Amino acid sequence: MSTVLESGAPLVKKANRLQSTKLNNKMVNAYWEDLFRAKEQGKLVCWTEGIQLNPILQAADIAWCHGEAAAALLAARKESAAPQAHMETLGYDRELCSYARTHIGCGVMNQASTVEAQTLLDVDARTLGSRIPEPDMIISAYPFCSTGQQWDNELYRTFGKKVPIYNISMDWVWGNKGSSAYMSGPEYREKVAFLKRQLEDCVRFIEGITGKRYDWDRLSEIMTYTKRAAELRLEAMKLCKARPSPASFFEWTNSIAPVNFLPGGPEIVHYFEQKKAEIEARIAQGIGTVPVEKYRLWWDGIMNWNKIGWLSDKFAGYDACMVAGRYTHMGFWQEPQVIDVRDPLDGMAQNYLTCPISISAPQVIDKIVEHCEFYEIDGLILHAARTCRAFSYPQHMIADAVGKRLGLPVAMFEGDMVDESFYKDEMVNSRVEAMLEAIDASRARRR
Amino acid sequence: MQIAGPLKSLAKGLPGASVCLGRPQPVGTSQMNPILETLRSVAEQPYQRAIEAKQRGQRVVGTLPMHCPAELIHAAGALPVLVQELPDPITSGGGVLPPFFCGFTRSFVDQVTEGKIAFLDAILFVDHCVQLLSAADVVRVARPETTIHFHQLIASVEQPWSLDNSVKTLRTFVEDLEELYGISISEDDLRRSIRLFNENRQLIRQLYDLRRSGAIDLSSTQMQAVIKSSMVMDKAEHTAMLRDLLPMLQTAGPAKVRKLPLYVSGHMCHAPRPEILALIEECGFSIVDDDLYHGYRYVSTDVDEAIGDPIVGLATAYLTKNRNAPCPTRIAPSVEMSEWLLQRVQASQARGLIVLLAKFCEPHYFQYPRIKQQFEQHNLSHLLVETEHEGVPLENLRTKVESFAEMIKRQG
Repeated sequence: MSTVLESGAPLVKKANRLQSTKLNNKMVNAYWEDLFRAKEQGKLVCWTEGIQLNPILQAADIAWCHGEAAAALLAARKESAAPQAHMETLGYDRELCSYARTHIGCGVMNQASTVEAQTLLDVDARTLGSRIPEPDMIISAYPFCSTGQQWDNELYRTFGKKVPIYNISMDWVWGNKGSSAYMSGPEYREKVAFLKRQLEDCVRFIEGITGKRYDWDRLSEIMTYTKRAAELRLEAMKLCKARPSPASFFEWTNSIAPVNFLPGGPEIVHYFEQKKAEIEARIAQGIGTVPVEKYRLWWDGIMNWNKIGWLSDKFAGYDACMVAGRYTHMGFWQEPQVIDVRDPLDGMAQNYLTCPISISAPQVIDKIVEHCEFYEIDGLILHAARTCRAFSYPQHMIADAVGKRLGLPVAMFEGDMVDESFYKDEMVNSRVEAMLEAIDASRARRR
Repeated sequence: MQIAGPLKSLAKGLPGASVCLGRPQPVGTSQMNPILETLRSVAEQPYQRAIEAKQRGQRVVGTLPMHCPAELIHAAGALPVLVQELPDPITSGGGVLPPFFCGFTRSFVDQVTEGKIAFLDAILFVDHCVQLLSAADVVRVARPETTIHFHQLIASVEQPWSLDNSVKTLRTFVEDLEELYGISISEDDLRRSIRLFNENRQLIRQLYDLRRSGAIDLSSTQMQAVIKSSMVMDKAEHTAMLRDLLPMLQTAGPAKVRKLPLYVSGHMCHAPRPEILALIEECGFSIVDDDLYHGYRYVSTDVDEAIGDPIVGLATAYLTKNRNAPCPTRIAPSVEMSEWLLQRVQASQARGLIVLLAKFCEPHYFQYPRIKQQFEQHNLSHLLVETEHEGVPLENLRTKVESFAEMIKRQG
């Protein structure tokens, strides 16, 4: 039996990317161009992070900048280092959330147009960052992570406390009572109700700024598209149970935007219809997302946004398909069935409160075990995003649980969402290769 | 149960402790005060008294920083014990929580996995700092036998519903305690506990006032022992000791030599190592004031006993505390921590500020740049010292602090 080390140079093989993903890239580019021109079009702009508030803003005809999306964009275009360096010169420690450092550093500090900021930022980053229009309001709604709230409030201070901010408190469902379970129990319902009340109040905050009556019918319409897109996405994901898997985790990371920050409309539904159709066609033809699918893996952790394509090819080179992951498969309108589009806030609140960092470690672990069984996973890659403690903290527990409950090996390494300096490629190589050999050895023992 | 306290760890020559070994701590005029000696001993072995109480049949409930109202636990007839960072090296806990978490959370997890705080009947906490919540969550997975409950106090303290929400949360906290022990906690029980805790805070604040004015000789390590012991021992006993201590210190009088007055800020959750505080004072400073959690922050705010419903009183105190000692994990658009700190430093007449920043403390990381900017704009000297659970090379730190002292002296 051949082993991973006998399989030749790992980087020769390339991932077989879905054609439909190109449509995503077009929509993303169009979104940013629209946002850059929002003020020219007379639109108000809201800055927000964390949960997907964009439908609520879209219904009020407000443009929005999602902080993580902005940071990921910069990272993907290799432009995140300059704003991060700028923040470090101001005294912000590099162990602080890199999303926050990148967003505040580029999207905000250059807005201040200080001599220091302009000098320290390189031309490309300055150009991109300065095109993000200043906010007319900030809405803070971050699940679980206190850093998210601080990030928003740091933005509020950066703009001299002149931009109105609305702080939504997202209570965590700890589960003190035995009656608590995933999406059920009095504690859960109480937290959903509290969040829904705050969303209603947030709408009044928005009305106070726009001076217009909120268009609830428009929200229902937007959520109809959003819900359908989410359903199609989940259906398409489940199709990837097929062997070989027609799409990978990396493809799904490239499809986050339509369910995270792009406007809700027929375009996002069409996108996932196209994607699903392409996946179905691949299944019919037996085409996989990697040339040879010898290993089926799970990616736990946020993506390294500056390495999606590179890592996609790297694992293809190992004959490994990253079939699914916590970030993509457990978040982003992950429970669309609870959304009543005629009265969507309750269902939206439920989705916000069950995203992967909004549910407790025991529930995260159970969900991952379910996914690993469904997708017939052979091993787990645990990417410990150094500056996202909210995502990284349960990973030792996850490793322990999948080992004990499913007998799966793991490879854990540090990296980061948008701070490339935390990623050490040789460490990744040695750990991944060791894990793949463990899978080989395990298979050999079973024969 | 065997407790590995600081002295024991040092005696073992464990790596985490050895780097903190500097020169012997200075002996002030109050060093041999018997009450201070007792409090120092309690602070060094922070769980010893709780273990003894447990052996006597008392209920013992652990709490986590930063805002848990221990009065509620006291009113339930239990001994509230604030979990402390121990200086012991992280061992099995390192296999549970990643290394890029703050020293307190890693130590807390390690204490659970090593069985060092298994004597606690339960652990209750209210704060949602991402690292604290993460640590608590892994604890219940790693050691499912641990009873650990979370009653989240709203972090956004200036919302119209902040008070109602806090009251509701604290009522649930009480119900949880009642269910845990099968008891009923009356309003009178709560009022008695609040009165006792208020007196304890007031006595400690008197110590602060006297130290700030130079009327008493109390080193920063002694002050830390006063507060740390208050976090872990019977409040009535501690309060009685403080009642005796105050006149003793006043009689003993001021320090013979008043050095450069200094303000120390930071360490929002756990105590800076005594060695660090002692070193700062050895370098020519007198720490006259602080906002450390194991310091003024812990005693900044009393509960208004005139508020009829004691739960409402506790919730009100929680919300107003953020004005008396701003917490970076709280969301309060009207409060600016850097401005507050500047005023506190100026009021204390300190000549400089040392910021003690616990490595990986994200809430503090967000605040520091504005503190730096504020102090630079007002031409006030400040020094940032990052501390780590694994220890700080003391002689390197000595050089920095001595240089800082020289710089201030030259400013005249």
